[in-house]
Amino acid sequence: MSPSTFTNPPTRQRLSFGSAEIRDHLLDVRFTGSGSEYFRIWIVNLLLMLVTLSLYYPWAKVRKLRYFYGNTLVDGQPLDFHGKPLKMLRGYLLVGLLLVLYSVAGNFSPEAGLLAFVLVAALWPALLKSSLQFRMANTSWRGLRFRFMGTVGGAYRAMLPLFVPGVLILAALVAVPDEKNPPMWYVALAGGVTLVTLLVLPWLWYQLKQYQHRHYALGQLQTELRTGPWAFYKVFLKTVGVFLGVLAVVFGAVFLLLGAVGLSSALPGRSGGGLGMALIAGLALGVFGLIVAQIVPRPYFVSRMQNLLWSRTGNNSMRFRSKLKFRPLLMLTVKNWLLVLLTLGLYWPFAAVAVTRMRLHAVTVITRVDPADLLDDARPADGEAAGDAAGDLFGLDIGL
Amino acid sequence: MRPATCSAWTSGSSLHPPTVATAPATPDPITADYFDGRSARARVVQLSLVDGELHLHGDGVALRVPAHQVEWPERMRHGPRIARLPDGGSLQGHDAPAWDAWALAGGRGESWVVRAQQSWRWALGSVLGLSVLLAAMYVWGVPWAARVAVAATPPSVDQAIGESALQSLDQQWLRPSKLPAEQQQRLRAAFERATAALPPGSVPAHRIEFRSGPMGPNAFALPGGTMVLTDALVELVQGDEAVIVGVLGHELGHVQQRHGLRLLVQAGAIAAVSSVVLGDFSTLLAGAPVLLGQASYSRDAEREADAHAVTVLKAAGLSPAVMVGFFEKVSARRMPAKEGPAPGSGADQDSRLGIAIASHPADAERIRFFRDAAAR
Repeated sequence: MSPSTFTNPPTRQRLSFGSAEIRDHLLDVRFTGSGSEYFRIWIVNLLLMLVTLSLYYPWAKVRKLRYFYGNTLVDGQPLDFHGKPLKMLRGYLLVGLLLVLYSVAGNFSPEAGLLAFVLVAALWPALLKSSLQFRMANTSWRGLRFRFMGTVGGAYRAMLPLFVPGVLILAALVAVPDEKNPPMWYVALAGGVTLVTLLVLPWLWYQLKQYQHRHYALGQLQTELRTGPWAFYKVFLKTVGVFLGVLAVVFGAVFLLLGAVGLSSALPGRSGGGLGMALIAGLALGVFGLIVAQIVPRPYFVSRMQNLLWSRTGNNSMRFRSKLKFRPLLMLTVKNWLLVLLTLGLYWPFAAVAVTRMRLHAVTVITRVDPADLLDDARPADGEAAGDAAGDLFGLDIGL
Repeated sequence: MRPATCSAWTSGSSLHPPTVATAPATPDPITADYFDGRSARARVVQLSLVDGELHLHGDGVALRVPAHQVEWPERMRHGPRIARLPDGGSLQGHDAPAWDAWALAGGRGESWVVRAQQSWRWALGSVLGLSVLLAAMYVWGVPWAARVAVAATPPSVDQAIGESALQSLDQQWLRPSKLPAEQQQRLRAAFERATAALPPGSVPAHRIEFRSGPMGPNAFALPGGTMVLTDALVELVQGDEAVIVGVLGHELGHVQQRHGLRLLVQAGAIAAVSSVVLGDFSTLLAGAPVLLGQASYSRDAEREADAHAVTVLKAAGLSPAVMVGFFEKVSARRMPAKEGPAPGSGADQDSRLGIAIASHPADAERIRFFRDAAAR
């Protein structure tokens, strides 16, 4: 997070936040896409993808990104995506082959599966880096390409909290002679490492986000992420709290129902049929509760994390602010889930557009420099298309 | 068309009403914002298409670019138009309808995909086409592809998968059989006598293993030809050789059709299709078709295997009716709590709701199948 990583535009004097002399200008972020239009784009491209055995995927993806980027207006100026579908197709074929090898390896022998897993895990940070680099290099605003300045070494350092416990477990697995009767020390170690991994998860997330958010660059400006791990721990802990709260409410309701029916069926003159019905109802409610517990914490996490990340990203000249509210996002998520289920998935493009709109409208850019003064003398680099494919196929979500 | 900008110093640079054409050239030039790719400052230029060349002028810009080197935007209802120039520059037209009219008048065609995306008729047609395509893939495409893929796979792959599966089952679930060795030998011999009556070459390589375990009366075939019988199953039928031959005949059907490998391939294919269709929305939902599809394919495989059991039994001169008694026993064992259900009627109930997620056909259906086979 050294301040030397960014440079101010040459025409401006270097100033810090809070200075009274320079007025902050607010740049609006608007999303003008429409659900019904994206539905038509999505369905036509989905059909093309299925009839071409997914070979059409890069074209569909480019079209989707161009629609979403072109309708994301920052200060009235759209973003744009420059990826070339044909180039991306080569990347997808290469990475797709790797993915197939990876997924069938485990069918031949456990050792082959383990080896494939270790290989992919070892490659993961490098894939993350090239995926981010590709996406940024092919995104532009006001005609300037973004850049991702992170290095491969940085990506490995960011992933360290995950690698250390992983290597420990792997070493222990190799050291254990008899898998059927593992010694006590192994059980204790496995339990301990799992616990530690859970505890360092927010820290890992913090490391990853630091890696992403301090390496975005546009023109002469590079971003920083000005927050510490504790803020991430707070968001994670509160999300767990929301999850437990939802579970408590739902199962409280189940027990109340069962108790009430149990009482009434104990009365004389009633058959046992009521109890069976109540059991089924309780079970259904329990399943419903589990689904609700899946749905509710996610928008909580999404809103809090977006606000944390995007209110803390920027530099002395230009920064972001995000005020995404939990309750509207929850209502929208519930509505989207219901409609997607009712329409057997056809509502999904409408849902995607609505969520994107809500998330983007919550963001504002605060700047002290005129964006028109940004300059980039470097010839735009396209980045390695295989990186983007890896990001998609191995489920790296680089997100906004 | 575009939202008002909120900062004082940018509003002058990019919002331009379409100017009235001054030159008589067709099509009339339009205005657009030009970015050179090095500076973020927009320059307002006039665009015209002349003899297959795009001309930009105004604000200190005078450029000519062959039209075919320009990456032209697709027509959409929302959002601005952005054309990408070969040298890294770009043009933004914020008055989208004016841009579209200008491009059309200049002879720029558009692909049928763009026209399809802008038409509700096409969109609804795509929904229909998609449904038909998915249904056809589910019913014919995936099983056919799996059959072809499995036929192309050497049997050594089945062997390797089956062996590693038996190894891990032995470690986690199964215990050695407690049946006397001579009884095991007798049952094996009975089955070999039965298969000897089948046409030569139609019996795949197989091996019969006995195990005990927590799964109750059960028999299963692994890829590669290993068939496992549990002690509990032998006890349930009181060592009745005819029933054991029927059960093993069923498992041999799985081996002959290479169902194990086929189900693996089918699960992979369905997972691929459903992640294309639903993966964007939720991986949880994308898993559901795999589960449902797998269960349905598994029921089809069981039916095929039942038919093979009938073939084996008949070839050995045994009546398929022995299997009726077997399934009645299995069915009665499954629901001992209910007050004396007739085996047929009890199983009919579970076929109502359970059929979508059950891996085997309802017992009643299988009883009916073997009864009919015995009558034929």
